[in-house]
Parts: sequence; structure tokens; C-alpha cells
Amino acid sequence: MNARVTMRTNINKTAAIKNQLKVCILSVKYNIMREMLNRVTFLTNIIFMMLNNAAFLIQWNILFHLKKNIGGYTIREVMLLWALSASSYGLAHLLFARVFSLHELIINGKLDSYLVQPKNVLLSIMTSATKTSSIGDLLYGLGIVCIFCFSFRNLLLFLLFTVTGATILTAYALLMGSLSFWFVRADMVGSHLVDSMVNFSTYPDGIFKGAVKFVLYLIIPTGMSIYLPVHIMVNFHMGRLLIVLGFMLLLLTAAVFTFYRGLRRYSSSNLTAARL
Amino acid sequence: MRKYAVIYRSILMENLQYAINTAMGFITYFMIIFIFMQLWNYMYSSPADLIAGYSRQQMIWYVMITEIIWFSARTATVTRQAATDIKDGNIAYLMNKPYHYTLYIMAKYTGEWSIRLPIYAAFSALAGVIMVGPLPDFHPITFLAAIPSILLGITINGVFKLCISLISFWIEDSNPFQWLYDKLILVIGTLFPVEIFPQALQPFLKLTPIYTVCYGPAKLLVDFQTDKLLEILPAQLLYLGLGIILMFFLYGKGVKKLYVNGG
Repeated sequence: MNARVTMRTNINKTAAIKNQLKVCILSVKYNIMREMLNRVTFLTNIIFMMLNNAAFLIQWNILFHLKKNIGGYTIREVMLLWALSASSYGLAHLLFARVFSLHELIINGKLDSYLVQPKNVLLSIMTSATKTSSIGDLLYGLGIVCIFCFSFRNLLLFLLFTVTGATILTAYALLMGSLSFWFVRADMVGSHLVDSMVNFSTYPDGIFKGAVKFVLYLIIPTGMSIYLPVHIMVNFHMGRLLIVLGFMLLLLTAAVFTFYRGLRRYSSSNLTAARL
Repeated sequence: MRKYAVIYRSILMENLQYAINTAMGFITYFMIIFIFMQLWNYMYSSPADLIAGYSRQQMIWYVMITEIIWFSARTATVTRQAATDIKDGNIAYLMNKPYHYTLYIMAKYTGEWSIRLPIYAAFSALAGVIMVGPLPDFHPITFLAAIPSILLGITINGVFKLCISLISFWIEDSNPFQWLYDKLILVIGTLFPVEIFPQALQPFLKLTPIYTVCYGPAKLLVDFQTDKLLEILPAQLLYLGLGIILMFFLYGKGVKKLYVNGG
């Protein structure tokens, strides 16, 4: 009898997870479809974002003209750095763009419409918006890795690290955004730190020294999302790969825990809002 | 002009209330400057090296000054607000007001950067002196001579960004064009002085906004020369004049084809 109940509970849980995943996929799909209503704007956003990223090729060409090796990186490694940085940012903003403006929802009391839904609150929030131009970032990253350092092994590692990089970036933004449950001004510091994570990710870690490296690996985790994966792609090391995966899980757990702890403190003035 | 002065003053007073918010923006500025500082420190093998005629200290101060201009001019008024006014149809109400819409936006923009510029300049000067050391051969008189160039640079930047926003009369989203303009200024203008580019490219770069928005003011502060002042100021005035003509032309053409559904 007990075994049958446990089995039925497990089946129900699996069905619920499948159902939740389906809702998340549909949510992202409809977000993209909504953005595609105006085809010209949609395509312009993607193409111009790729051009926008490509502008940095000029910057690095000039710098490498002045010095052949910058912080231990050649042009090939810098391109890999850029590719991973762009694609991680792209994937995070394509699937979970709302996380990056979570503080606005909390401060303005706009979480109510998510709380009343019979689905997971956090996933509903995370997948409720998309950023069209992020498709350009994702494609740019893939294009760069195919042009500058293509191999089957590199492509597989690149795809894996795009997922880990996007997860670390999203988890960090979730953690920083969730601080708004406790502090009204937390958004100002939090969004600057998330921006810094992106800014640091396009410059070689070799130019930073001493305590800054510690900050870049643990406080602003660019090291774990971009630098270490680039080092692994250049020179594979299983131990380092496990460190990246472990850090990603740890940060994600901390971010989800902080969000739900903070949610207990959430209050609003019954703001009426519709989710379209 | 009095009505624009009133708009300017009211925006100035409004922004003074949020001066702390503006000062918080210095965190991002500092992070970016820190990265560039590390980058240029690495690029100079020894402190005595010269790159394109600039010493390490001069190069870092050059980047800091161009970034001050960039961050001071980074307001949503000439970009997101103007584009949204056009896209949402709010322009239909604003164009009937007793002012010219573009000058109203420029007055607002000026009120905003008037607060941001001194805040960023003060913080940057402090951070620069502590982290890099004082600007070599700095004289207060050359600083005063460079001030008009800085103010003109920020104004030219605003006029061109507003021109890009006015494209929203024809296409729905002008943002992608803003990105390209931003990258032109940020990637080429703020990080590298014109002298770093090949000789053949330099005359072309002097025709772009990079020369009048970033290079001109920063060059005058870092390495003041009277003949440079006499070359940069007329170029900026010419650029500003052409920018304003383009701004009025785009607005005039745009409002003629404006079609707004009532509501």
C-alpha cells in the first residue's frame, strides 16, 4: 500500500515538473513570438547587436598591434573570451531577461500577478520576458567560436560553458535583485555589480593582479562564468571543470534560497496589473 | 529663449534632489575606468614608454576624461524618452506646446548633464590623483580654456543622439542605431586618441563625432596646445551647427508624416 502511494506521489511529481517545464518553454516561445510581431524591428535588433559586438574587433586589433600578448592572451583567446561572454549574456537574457529587472517588480509591488498563478513563482517571473537583441549576442558568440577556434571538442565545451555562464550570470542577478526584499536601495548597488560582471568579462584576467583576481572569482563571479571556462577550453582540466559546475550549483542554490526567504517579506498595496 | 531657461532650471532643481542617485552611478564609471587603467598599465612595459606620443599617465587621464564626458551625457532624455514620445504618440501633445520639441528635449538634457558633469569630474579627479597621480603639466588656465570644448562636446553628442531618436518617425525602434553610434564613440573614441590610428585613417576620424565629442576636449586637457584649441573649437562649432540643422530637418520632415490614432 505504502509503496503504491510513494510511486503515485513520484509519478505526480514527475508530471508536475514536466508540466512546469512545458509552461516555461511556452512562456519563452510566446515572448519571442510577441517580439516577432514587427519583423523588421526584430531582425534589425539582432543584426545590429551582432555589428555592435563586432565593433570590438577594431579595439582588439589596435591593442594587439601595440602588443602581441595581452595578459597571457593572444587574439584567438580574446575572441574565445568574447564569444563566451556574448553567448552567456545572450542565453541569460533570451530566457530569463526579467531576472535583470527583478528589483523593479519588488520595489513597485508588481509580484502579485505572479503569486496568484498556480505555477512556480520564481520560474514564472524568470521566463516572463525576453530581450530580442540577446539572440544577436548568442549568434555572435557561436559565429566567433566557429570562425576563430572551431573543433568538435571546442564547440561542445563552448555550448556547455554557455549554459554554465548564463546560469551563473542569472543566479548572480537573482541574488542581487532579491536583496531588494530587504533594502530599498539595494538595486543601485546590485545592478552596478551585475553590470560590472559583464564589463569585466570581455577583458583578459591576466591584466588584473592581486586582490582584484580574488574579487573577480568570488565577489563578482566573472572568473567562474568566463575566465576559468576559457582556460579549460584552451587547456582542458577535469578538476577545473568540476569547480565551475560546483560553483554554479552553489550560487544557484544560494540565489533561489535568498529569493524565497525574501519573498516572505514581500508586501504590496494590491496593485492591479495584467500579464499580457 | 526664456522658456527654455525655465525648463533648464526646473530640470536642474529636480536633478539636484537626486544627486545621490547620480553619484551612485560613479560605481559603474569607476569599474570601467579601473579596467582601462589595468589595461593601459599592462600595455606600457615601463613608465617611461610613450605610445603615440602619450605617456602612461597621460593615456589613463585621456581615457578618464573621455569617460567623464560619456557618463555625464548618458541620459535617457535624448534617447529613450524622445524615441518613446514618438513611438507612443505622446509627441502629438508635445508638439502643440508653446516650445519647439527638440529644443525642449535639449534644455532637459542640458539640465541633467549640468548636475552629472561636476559630480563625475570631482570624483574622477580624486580617483585619478590617488590611483594614477596628478595630470602631468596641468595648468588651471589651460583647464579653463578647455571648458568650452567639453561643454560643446557634450552638446554635440546630445544633438546627434536626438537626431538618431528622431529616426523613430520612420522606423519603430531607433535603438539599434543608438548602439552603433555608442560603439563608435566608446570603442574608438574613449579608449584611443586619434594619433594611435594609422596616419592614413586620421583625416577620416577627424570628420567623425569622435573628434569633436571625445578627442578634442580630452586632448586639450591632457596635452594643451593653443593651435589645437584653435583647430578643435571651430570644428566643434561647425559640427554643432550642422547637427542642429539636421535635427530641425528630421523633426520637420517627421512631424509632417506623423499619424497618431486618437485615444
